[in-house]
Amino acid sequence: MKLQEYQAKSILREAGIPLPNSALATNAVQVKRVAAEIGYPVVLKAQTLEPGRGRAGGVRIVQNEDEIENVSNGIFKLVLNHRPIHSILVEKAFTFSKEYYLAITSDLDAGTPVLRLSEAGGATFLEPESFRDALVVEKHIDINYGLKDYQIRELMASLRINPIFWKQFQQIARKIYAVYRQFDATLVEINSLVESTQDQLFALDAKISIDNQSIFRQGSFCESFESANFSWEERQALKFDVDYQSFPGDIGCMVNGMGLAYLTLDQLLSLNALPSAMIDIHGGATSTSISSALEMLLVDTRSKVVVINIFGGMTRCDEVAQGILQTLEANQPKKPIFIRLEGTNGDSGLESLFNNENLTFFNTTAALVNAAVAWQRGDEQ
Amino acid sequence: MSILINADSRIMVQGITGRRGRFHSLQMLKSGSQIVGGTSPGRGGEWCFEGRLPIFDTVRECVEATNADVSVIFVPPHATADAILESIDNGIKTIISITGSIPLQDMMIVKSALKNSDSILVGPNSPGVLVPGIANAGIFPSDITLQGNVGVVSRSGTLCYEVLDTLKQSGIGVSTAVGIGDDPIIGIDFLTCLELFEFDPHTDKIVMIGGPGGDNELKAASYISENVTKPVIAYVVGERFATSLLRPFFSKSGMLSLDSLGKKTSGLVEAGVLIADKLSEIPTLINK
Repeated sequence: MKLQEYQAKSILREAGIPLPNSALATNAVQVKRVAAEIGYPVVLKAQTLEPGRGRAGGVRIVQNEDEIENVSNGIFKLVLNHRPIHSILVEKAFTFSKEYYLAITSDLDAGTPVLRLSEAGGATFLEPESFRDALVVEKHIDINYGLKDYQIRELMASLRINPIFWKQFQQIARKIYAVYRQFDATLVEINSLVESTQDQLFALDAKISIDNQSIFRQGSFCESFESANFSWEERQALKFDVDYQSFPGDIGCMVNGMGLAYLTLDQLLSLNALPSAMIDIHGGATSTSISSALEMLLVDTRSKVVVINIFGGMTRCDEVAQGILQTLEANQPKKPIFIRLEGTNGDSGLESLFNNENLTFFNTTAALVNAAVAWQRGDEQ
Repeated sequence: MSILINADSRIMVQGITGRRGRFHSLQMLKSGSQIVGGTSPGRGGEWCFEGRLPIFDTVRECVEATNADVSVIFVPPHATADAILESIDNGIKTIISITGSIPLQDMMIVKSALKNSDSILVGPNSPGVLVPGIANAGIFPSDITLQGNVGVVSRSGTLCYEVLDTLKQSGIGVSTAVGIGDDPIIGIDFLTCLELFEFDPHTDKIVMIGGPGGDNELKAASYISENVTKPVIAYVVGERFATSLLRPFFSKSGMLSLDSLGKKTSGLVEAGVLIADKLSEIPTLINK
C-alpha cells in the first residue's frame, strides 16, 4: 500500500526527521487559513497516489494571500488518471541550495533492504533518463545486523559529501531505516532532502509504501490509511485475503495463483481483449473468500461476463464449487459465468456444479478465454 | 533419478493438523511418498491418519525421532518465517514452504539465515517438489505426470500444473518438477535448479517456466549459455505485457520491477534456449 505524502510525512515527523511546517486542507477556505498560520510563501501540493502530479500543475508556490484562492481552486479541479483531488498539503516554502535523494528500498532478488543515496535528487530524479545518468550509490543491508554507520559513511565519502552534513545524514538514514522496519515498509524515500541556507537538512517530499503482506500486523495505524488509499474492492480483497487488480476492460476474471493470472491475461491480450478486474484467490482459498470474490465480479457493472480459471493444487476444487454455489444461491447473476475447474478434487467440484444453468464449462485456459471474448463481443453487436 | 528429493527422502510436515496441512499430508501419503511425521505445537504425542503418522511439538523432536531431512511447511503466513528458521536450526536439508504471502521483511531475515546454513529453501508460495511415482513433497495434484526424463522448473505453481498436464497429454514424462515459488522474495532460483538438473543423470531436457518481475530468467540465461549442455525449453508468460495497455497497472503496484519485461525471451534465445510462444508448443519443442 502506497501512502499519500501527508501520511508519509506524519510518520517521518513522528520519527524525528526535520520537515518544513505543513498541514492538510480539504477546501479552499481551509487552504487560506492554514497558509496564514504557516506564513507565506507556501507550497500547495495536491495529495494523490497517481504519478505525474507536478507536470499536471498539482504543486504550486504561492507568494501571498491574493493568489491563494485561485491557485487552490485550480488544484482542486485537477483530475489525475480519473481520480479527483480531495486534499492539499499546505507547506512552508523553502530556499535551498542542493537536492539529495535518500531512501531505503527493497532488493527482492537479493532479499535485503538497500540504502540508496544520490546528489541528483529532485522532481526528475525518478524519470528513466535522469535516473540512468545520475550518480547513485547504494549499500545492501543485512537485516539481521541492521543499518550500520560505516555503511552510510562509505556512501557519503564516495559522493564526497561535505563532512559538516555527515552527522545529519547519519541520523536521518538511521531514522528512515527504523521507520522501514517498524512499519513493514517496502520503500521509505526522501526525494528530495535539501540543504537549507542554515546548513540544515530538510525532507521536502516523502514516499512510503507498506508491504501488503504485513498489513495484518500493522494494526490501527494502517486501518486509518486503508480507507483513504484503497477502493472498496481493494478493501474487500484485503479482508478476504485475495488480490484485486482493476483494469480498463470488460471481462471479470477470477483465478488461483499469479501464473494463471498472467496466462489468462496473456490469452486475453492475444485476442485484443482486457479484463475489468483480475482477482487472484491464492492457493488454498476458503469457500467464503471465493464466494466474496465472485460477488465482487458479479456486482461490477463494467463486466458483461465472468471468467473463472482454476487449476487446483492447494486450492481444492470442491471448495471452489462450494463458494460459487454460496454466491449463486444468494443472488441470481445477471451475466453468464464461464468456468474451467481442474486439479485437486476436480471431479467432485465439477459434479456439484454441473446442473447449474448459470455456468458454462471449459477444459483449457485457451478455450475458456476465447469463448468469453467471443460471447462478450457477440453481446455488444 | 531426481533433484532436491528422492526415494530415500524422509519428509516431515510443519503444521500437519491444520486445514491445509492435514488434507495435503494425506494426499502425499496416498501418493506413496515417505512421510515420517509432522509438527503441531501443543499436540505432541498424538497420532494422525489412524495412527499412521506421529505428531511432535517441535521440529527438533521430530528430527530426533524420525531422522527427517525434508520439511514441507503449511503453517499460516505470519508463522512461516519462524517455521523455516526452526527447520534451518535443526539441520533440515530441503525446506519447502507451500505457504505464501509471507511478510517481506520476515523473508529478508530468512534469506540472511540461509546464507549461514547448509539448508536449501524452496518457495515460499511453492507447489513443492514432485518426483513422479516416487515422492510428492507438496501440493501437486496427483496424476498429472508420467515418469520420464524432462526436468521442469517454474516460478508459478498453477502454470507448472498447466505444463505438466500438457506434457502428460503428449506422453512426455518428467524426472522432477520444482515450483520455486511466486512470492516476491524466494529461496532457490532458476539458476540453482538448472545447475541441479544439469548434473542429474536422469534428466535429459529441461523446461523452464518464467514470468514478469525481477531478472531471474535473464540470470538463468547467462548461466545457461556458459554451463548448461542439456537442451532448455522456456515459456515466459507475460512478455507482451511490456507493450500493452497493462503496463501502467503493473508498475503502479510498485512491487514488480518491469525493467526486464519483454527482454527475457530475447535474452533466453541468445543463450540458445528454445522458446515456446504458447504452452501447447512445449511438447513439440521437446520432441525436436
